[in-house]
Amino acid sequence: MTTRSLAVPASRRGHALRRNVIGWAFLGPAIALVGVFTITPFAQAILLSFQSWDGVSPDTPWVGLDNYAFVASDPVFWASMRNVVFFGVVGFVAGNGVALVMALAVNTVVRGRTFFRTVFYLPGVLSVVVVGLLFSFILAPGSGVLNRLLALVGVAGQNWLGDPDVALPVVAAVFVWFHWGFGFLLFLAGLQDIPKELYEAADLDGANRWSKFRFVTWPQLAPVTSIVSLLTLLAALQIFGTVQVLTNGGPGHHTMVPTLAIYNEAFVNWRYGSAAAMSVIFGGALVLLSVLQLAITRRRSRI
Amino acid sequence: MSRIPPHKIGLYGLLAVAAFIALFPLLWMVSGSLQSLTELLSNRSFLPADPQWHNYVTAWVQGDLGVYLRNSVLYTGCAVAGILLVSSLAGYGLARLDFAGKGVFTFVILAVMIIPAPAMFLAQYKLLISLNLTNNPVGYVLILITSGVPMSTLIMRGFFAGQPRALEEAAALDGAGPLRVFWNVILPLARPGLAAVAVIQGLGAWNEYLMALVLFEDNSLMPIQRGLTAFTSAETPQQQILLAATTISIVPVVIFYLMAQRHIVKGIGAGAIK
Repeated sequence: MTTRSLAVPASRRGHALRRNVIGWAFLGPAIALVGVFTITPFAQAILLSFQSWDGVSPDTPWVGLDNYAFVASDPVFWASMRNVVFFGVVGFVAGNGVALVMALAVNTVVRGRTFFRTVFYLPGVLSVVVVGLLFSFILAPGSGVLNRLLALVGVAGQNWLGDPDVALPVVAAVFVWFHWGFGFLLFLAGLQDIPKELYEAADLDGANRWSKFRFVTWPQLAPVTSIVSLLTLLAALQIFGTVQVLTNGGPGHHTMVPTLAIYNEAFVNWRYGSAAAMSVIFGGALVLLSVLQLAITRRRSRI
Repeated sequence: MSRIPPHKIGLYGLLAVAAFIALFPLLWMVSGSLQSLTELLSNRSFLPADPQWHNYVTAWVQGDLGVYLRNSVLYTGCAVAGILLVSSLAGYGLARLDFAGKGVFTFVILAVMIIPAPAMFLAQYKLLISLNLTNNPVGYVLILITSGVPMSTLIMRGFFAGQPRALEEAAALDGAGPLRVFWNVILPLARPGLAAVAVIQGLGAWNEYLMALVLFEDNSLMPIQRGLTAFTSAETPQQQILLAATTISIVPVVIFYLMAQRHIVKGIGAGAIK
């Protein structure tokens, strides 16, 4: 803020003002949009969680902590939180595991590399609605093609989406099918950025394949791994459309997830206040997770 | 197969299995969309015995897909144009210009990226009600633009920061104002960065579902994703018709993906790493 000191001649002060105005003009549209449509709603969601609103009336009376008390004893919301932890773990372990293994595999082949890369990311360009519709047919209990395929090899079919014991892992598997290509692309790009000299040096030291992976690939890939992990985890935790179209949270609440619970609470049950309380609890947890992960990554990269 | 070295057969086996799993649902969808209902439910073969091309006509007409696709093209186009304009301005400002409050602006752009959709969509809906912008293309496009701006701004900032300054300085010496320099000199050079942002945001906007679900009531305004679920629940179409409708809905995005693949890979990389 030295430009504001009195010692600065008026012409230079005018120059600084002009510079600031130009800078603000360039940033203006972005800040205005984000301010109006992101920051304001974020703050409003917090306010709304202390109010009661039916979605129509202009009145939103204050109800103190009632919404939070209601949510705290809402079995659907807590079932959705448990389920989403399962989605998070499966997405994180299976999704990232498949992504890494396939990236390593594609990176070692020459012939067909473009083909495999294209095919592996193809599911990733579909929408949640398309994936949901498609798998609701494939996994259908009677005529579903998966059961028919299994019958060919003598395995008994299942009611994949209707059986409370299998629905959750099945939906998680659909998520992995849909989403692993994203991590795959990033891992593959990361692998291609590792300098060849490092592997040549390891060869000179007589390193075997495993120690090359352990001491060259894995540490070199660490920055990509941490960002892929965070993004996959966040995507899994925010799963909504796939579940809504596939099972709508059923059977019972066995595949309910928080975003769907929030949506239902607001747009089906007309209880926007408690829906807002849910979104503050769940959204707050996601923000905390991101901040934590970023802090850990930053500390690690400093060492 | 003869040119695959023997020690890599296992590797190619793994890749082939993964490719089969990735492709099978889509191939099945296309095959199912060409069968009659009896054939589809009997599931006797994976290839349609007698391709029922008219399923596509039925799906197009019954499902009103022309309206939904037109809306999606319009919303996606407007959203991408808006994102490119707003984020290249902001990205350039952060990369090149010097002004008071730059640190705060950078922090705000970074911080809002952490706020997840589940924490906001409800209040965004409430806000748009008070602005009279629900069930309204403008409201929807504004939300799409806003959600794409922070990441795109960071990508563009990184892009501009890596460019040489010589041309801008030459243009400035010639007396061009900053906006002229930006529009006539900077933007044309920024095409690779803009392309990466455009494809990645285009895919995102085309596939957006949550806000479309929350905001639109009139079928005539719905984008394709919302239209598909409206079709499913309102008309209860037969399975092969719905498969045809689903296939139609992914044709634009698959063609786009195959054509712009290089940019998509780059865009995803840039978006994630920045």
